Amino acid sequence: MGGILEHLADIEEPRVLVFGITGRQGRSRTRLMRRFGTDIVAGCTPGKGGQEVNGTPVYDSASEAVEAHPDLNTAVFYVPAKAVRSAASDAMEAGLGFLVLTADGVPTHDAAVLKELSSRKGCRFLGPNTVGLLDTSGYLFGLIGGRASWARSNYLPGSVGVISRSGGLSQLLGAFHCRRHLPGPREDGSFGPLWGEEYPGVSAVVCVGGDPIPGVSVLDAARAFEADPRTKVMAVYGETGTSQENDLARAMESGEISKPVVVFLGGKYTEAGVAQSHAGAMIRNPEEAYGAKRKALEEAGAVVVERPDAVFASTARILGLRA
Amino acid sequence: MPALPEYRTRKLLAGEGVPVVEGVFFPAGAGVPEPPPAPPAYVKAQIPGATSRASRGLVRHVTDSEAMSLAMRELLSPGPWGQSEGVLVTSPAELYGEYYAACTLDLGGEDRLPRGVLLFSPEGGSGVEERSETLLRMPFSLTAPPSEEAIRERLPQLSEPEMVAALLHGIVRAFIRYRLLVLEANPIGVLQDGTPLVIDCRAEYESRAVAKGDRQLFTPPAGGDRELLPLERAVERINEADPSGTGFFRQNRSEPPEDAWRVATNLCGGGGKMLWEMTTGGRDDIYTMNESDTSGGLSAFKSYRILRTILSQEGAHVLLLTGSGMAFQNQHHLAAAVWKALRESPTPLPALLRFGGTDEDLAHGLFDRVSEDLPVAVRHYRAEIFPNAMVEDIPPVAVREPIRVDPPPLPQGEPTFETEVPPGRFYFFPELCTERPDHLLGSCPTGYLAWDADSRTLAPNPESRCIGCLMCETASLLEGNGELRIVLDLPEEVE
Repeated sequence: MGGILEHLADIEEPRVLVFGITGRQGRSRTRLMRRFGTDIVAGCTPGKGGQEVNGTPVYDSASEAVEAHPDLNTAVFYVPAKAVRSAASDAMEAGLGFLVLTADGVPTHDAAVLKELSSRKGCRFLGPNTVGLLDTSGYLFGLIGGRASWARSNYLPGSVGVISRSGGLSQLLGAFHCRRHLPGPREDGSFGPLWGEEYPGVSAVVCVGGDPIPGVSVLDAARAFEADPRTKVMAVYGETGTSQENDLARAMESGEISKPVVVFLGGKYTEAGVAQSHAGAMIRNPEEAYGAKRKALEEAGAVVVERPDAVFASTARILGLRA
Repeated sequence: MPALPEYRTRKLLAGEGVPVVEGVFFPAGAGVPEPPPAPPAYVKAQIPGATSRASRGLVRHVTDSEAMSLAMRELLSPGPWGQSEGVLVTSPAELYGEYYAACTLDLGGEDRLPRGVLLFSPEGGSGVEERSETLLRMPFSLTAPPSEEAIRERLPQLSEPEMVAALLHGIVRAFIRYRLLVLEANPIGVLQDGTPLVIDCRAEYESRAVAKGDRQLFTPPAGGDRELLPLERAVERINEADPSGTGFFRQNRSEPPEDAWRVATNLCGGGGKMLWEMTTGGRDDIYTMNESDTSGGLSAFKSYRILRTILSQEGAHVLLLTGSGMAFQNQHHLAAAVWKALRESPTPLPALLRFGGTDEDLAHGLFDRVSEDLPVAVRHYRAEIFPNAMVEDIPPVAVREPIRVDPPPLPQGEPTFETEVPPGRFYFFPELCTERPDHLLGSCPTGYLAWDADSRTLAPNPESRCIGCLMCETASLLEGNGELRIVLDLPEEVE
């Protein structure tokens, strides 16, 4: 199977432990993931060990789950924000290699602690505040897609790697690349179909989340797509706050990232110091503002656009697709 | 970021054994105490987030009773600096030196892990971070913070390094315990015997990081957050009652430009907000009345409540709802919430609605059916239509005069049953439904609704849960006779 996880966390066959599987969201999202093709092996809810959810065994802790299922390597979390730190620490201690933290509202201190712990344990986490990850080779983690049938028909294999700091935009940038005859603004200013029957498709969609301390950063995701042979171009949604786009620009400048990158950059009118609904979008220093990021990305060779539908014309041109 | 004024920050420090200068807090609502505190003293306005207070006249050194009364009166009243929570009256101390100390959070980056940073300078006063050449920067792990001894070893030459190290260690402990973003003590005064004492302090924090047991420390004395407007407080209460997903709402504090279209917005997700900002940020003819983010898998019950709050804003000309285009959140459920809000609000707004993502076809189908019966014009858009195009439809749809309608009366009295989270009251009217209501039972995605054949009524299935999707009420109104109604109570500010 492989896919993007092979390059993100050195995991070839993701086998998943679902934290919070007995809750409302955990149950429904587990169904979604499994129907899409994700290999859900076990669930974990403290105090509910011994139960089963739709045939999936539930354990009290990650270590118990790993003991019973040594092939577990990935964990997806549907737990409240305030419980994320202890649940994710439990998973890291149990040796799981890749964690997906969907919760919004995780305290920044907790994310910092998890980052430190993950560095020590040699594991990676996506999020917090992420809709997750979808790989068109046949697995998804988190909330992305909404319904398995919708996800299967809207995310089709192809050559665009999507990286986004927004849940909605990660889905939009993914799904629209998979629509035949997609209309949109062309690079010459006209409007109309950007390609014909042959659409770009996506290799994977990685939502790094909207928080100030992401586990997997935009650059981490870009490195994975750089190594992924399916991916020919990256479509990125970036925004103000954090150094993620600046780091990406530096990596492009140095040649570490050599594949073409198209960025829809948000936050042109965002003022410094103002709280945003994406906590990570708050500008804390001039380098994190729109102008500085745009300049850095453009100088590094990225195509930067000001509206999301302008991304598609650029990826089409790079891939040589025509209407 | 929310800020703690000095008098509340002192409590966090004192709780960790950090010595603070003697002081008494007088809340704003209580008026000038009689008799006023005895001079000499410092009278300091307590305004969250206020900096450079001395140069703005918010800190007064008073030496006689008359000056004390005047300072108390002025600083307890609202002024150009905003609403003060009260004043802190502190005793003057004879100081032989001033230090500066702070803890901040370094978010990390490509070259380093996130960490705390302890700052210290043997100089105090405003602007010390920029001017001090002797600023000590000591990064530390949040999981293994430095010991008192480790801090002492890093300190420059001081007369009483042990006492300073103990104080700094207390600051680090408070910073970690309360998961603060900034904790600053400036100045730290040095008494004749070398004892350090925090003279002034402030903190910034995240509401999300405040533990339940610490809420009192982070809440102003009058209750509620004075920085929030009434409708914003209403949304906070909606969030408390139904914590599912994200429910964010902030009103625009700036004055709308004359003749601008005032747009009440429901921008689902941070990406939706960015999309709208990129579309309208450079335009003077569009005034965004509020920012709101309803996303992350919230219930339709909650979407409805926040929408009713958005519609309650005075002076709005039009409602615009859009996410960033593709949501995992069920768009049919969201559409049901929007429909309910528009038909039940006494102040509905013409609406531009964009649905894209899971069950988007059902969402559009719903509005194809119901739009004409609403008291306001509604246009709905597919995800392929971006806000850039939607704004062009504002002039033909928006209405500058306030719209007031008498919405259909809501059911009263005891409901048939209730749900706790998300909170809702269900009323079933058997006289309107003579047969088993399969359309209602079939509409419920979780099997929560069951039919009690003996009493011929609807009953909740104890084995299942209500997710607050509004599909049953929607089915009742579109496929039945309105035999099921759901009443979603609203905070009083919304009405």
